[in-house]
Amino acid sequence: MLYFIEDTINGILMGSIYGLTALGLTIIFGVLKVINFAHGSLLMVGMYVAYWAVALSGVHPYLALVVVIPVMFLFGYLLQDIVIKPIFKAEKDVREPVTVIIVTTGVWYILDNLSLLFFGPQYRSIQDNPLRGKMFELGEMLISVPKLWGCVTALITAAGVYYFFQYTRLGRAIRATSLDRDAASLAGINQYKIYNIAFGIGTAISGIAAITLIPFYNTFPTVGVSFDIKGFIIVVLGGLGSIGGAIVGGIIVGLIESVGPQFMTATWTEAIVYGLFLLVLFVKPSGLFGEKNDW
Amino acid sequence: MDKKIFWKRCMSTLAVTVGLTLTLPGAPLLAADKVVKIGNIIPLSGPSATVGEQGKNAREMAVAEINAAGGIASLGGAKLELVYADSESKPEKGVGEAERLINTEKVNVLTGCWNSSVTYPTTAVAERYGVPFLVPVSVADKITEQGFKNVFRIAAKDSWWTRDQFSFIKDMSAEFNTEIKKLAFVYENGDWGQGIAGNWVKLAKAAGYEVVLNEPYPSTTTDLSPVVQKIKRSRPDVLMMVSNAADAILLTNTLAEYRVRLKALISSGGGHADPSFIQAAGKSARYLFDIVEWETDVNKPGAREANEKYKKQYGQNLTGEAVDAYLAMYIIKDALERAASLDPEKIRQALADTQLSDGPGMIVGYDKVVFDEKGQNKEASLVMVQINDIGNGLERITVWPKSARRVGYTPVFPKP
Repeated sequence: MLYFIEDTINGILMGSIYGLTALGLTIIFGVLKVINFAHGSLLMVGMYVAYWAVALSGVHPYLALVVVIPVMFLFGYLLQDIVIKPIFKAEKDVREPVTVIIVTTGVWYILDNLSLLFFGPQYRSIQDNPLRGKMFELGEMLISVPKLWGCVTALITAAGVYYFFQYTRLGRAIRATSLDRDAASLAGINQYKIYNIAFGIGTAISGIAAITLIPFYNTFPTVGVSFDIKGFIIVVLGGLGSIGGAIVGGIIVGLIESVGPQFMTATWTEAIVYGLFLLVLFVKPSGLFGEKNDW
Repeated sequence: MDKKIFWKRCMSTLAVTVGLTLTLPGAPLLAADKVVKIGNIIPLSGPSATVGEQGKNAREMAVAEINAAGGIASLGGAKLELVYADSESKPEKGVGEAERLINTEKVNVLTGCWNSSVTYPTTAVAERYGVPFLVPVSVADKITEQGFKNVFRIAAKDSWWTRDQFSFIKDMSAEFNTEIKKLAFVYENGDWGQGIAGNWVKLAKAAGYEVVLNEPYPSTTTDLSPVVQKIKRSRPDVLMMVSNAADAILLTNTLAEYRVRLKALISSGGGHADPSFIQAAGKSARYLFDIVEWETDVNKPGAREANEKYKKQYGQNLTGEAVDAYLAMYIIKDALERAASLDPEKIRQALADTQLSDGPGMIVGYDKVVFDEKGQNKEASLVMVQINDIGNGLERITVWPKSARRVGYTPVFPKP
């Protein structure tokens, strides 16, 4: 029973971090209606920014958020403005701009290979940070402190983003664009600027996710790929475009991965996660929290 | 003959001749001088070119030493001459080049090919022509299982990696008077991990160990704490691992975080031998044992000097592949001395009778070269290293076989 509780706690903590890595993906999809295949690479860029910020300054990893959030927002904003927007404009009469998806795939390859070129294939981790290897003892149970920080950060971020979309003027403008971009344009909203901002927000959230990962995970050029695949599964589970859905979807995946291996080999949990993914697509394609409306 | 190939061959012959003339200045080859031609089929371009280059450098260093010391005395001071052929890591290329070296270049001995997929068909050509073929290193077991009389392999074969991990456990357990009963196996879920774990299960059964955990994990995993919890709860004495790079670091760190108490951790190269592993895992990696072909600090006479000379000439440390190639030249020299003839059958017989235990070539981790009836060097073994910090930061220190252990180092076993 104690083992079960210990694994459940680890599953929830790790799962909420997975949710955070998927949050940016779901927001970008919600607004732009584009599946961003470069999302894992954005996480990778965030991890390198976070790694260098912490390694060069020696500060507490979470203090690096001050640098990582603006840098990543700007990176996402400019990436959308310079690379993706022209394609969007060329396809503006199409409801689901497929070319943009292909462009994001190109961005993925270019970013991964650029980081390989600049930083080399080495695995980097920050040795002397106050969170590394810290465990919190609860009776006989061990709970990872960096994951606890990650979980709290994920929940705060999700709540913050929700508040922003729900109650601020800019947030409402973004939602308006998301619901009907033509109507939003008629109401005087500059749709491309909203896209830039939404992409910037999604990228900045990847930066926050990167911060939660660096105290216990390695940074390397293809680090995004494994989180990318998980991100897609989580977003579909939770419902495309749903903020709460991303976190809940992440926790579901985390729980399966953490509790499952006590009853079977770890490789089987992967099969269960993918099985669940297919089941959701068959039974409730809009996901657990997705709205049923037609995009 | 295709014109292109013809020209390519002309050019490569020319290149070899020019290369030799350049590398042997002041060594006029008089007509009376006997020359022993050694044909080397190695990957000099393509995906394994780096390894091929290391093998080429090591061969050249050994041959220069042998020739400078007077060549082969029993053949009237005959000099060794190296002839290269590029396999490009392609089996068909290796086979073609073997035909050329035997028929056109009239080589006396062949060596190569590093890539097991090339060595396997190429040795068949040598067998057909009855030309002795010495394989420094190509690990596939099947190479010496073909029933060939002319094929000899120096390095340990694939299945011996796991064999040596178990010999190591047994030897350490005896040396440090520590009982080892329960083993846990954790490995990446690919061909490589599954293959090794399959051997482990058989070896553990034969040696009477209890296997308390046999757990594959997906190699793209992002969280290994569930697996580490399973290791902790199964309470093994020794944990054996097969990992790629990212998961090796994650596994090592997570084991330290969850304070898993083990007498020893034994890994199988791969990710645990990655140059960035020690740096990224940091002190969590301390006391880990890893298996390798060779390490620069092996305690063998001449090993340090050979490494320094090689590093000075080629700017890199010797590697397992280079050391095997270096040794191959000395084995050929030893066999030629005893054969005292260039008759292929006599050279083959001399190779089969090899009992080499000293000399400049013996800088490998084991003590002797003796070929069994299949042509496999039955004395070959791998080397175990321990990662520890003895004042110079974390480094890999040779601990096993005991005769190769770094001078003055006592392995930390069991793990504190």
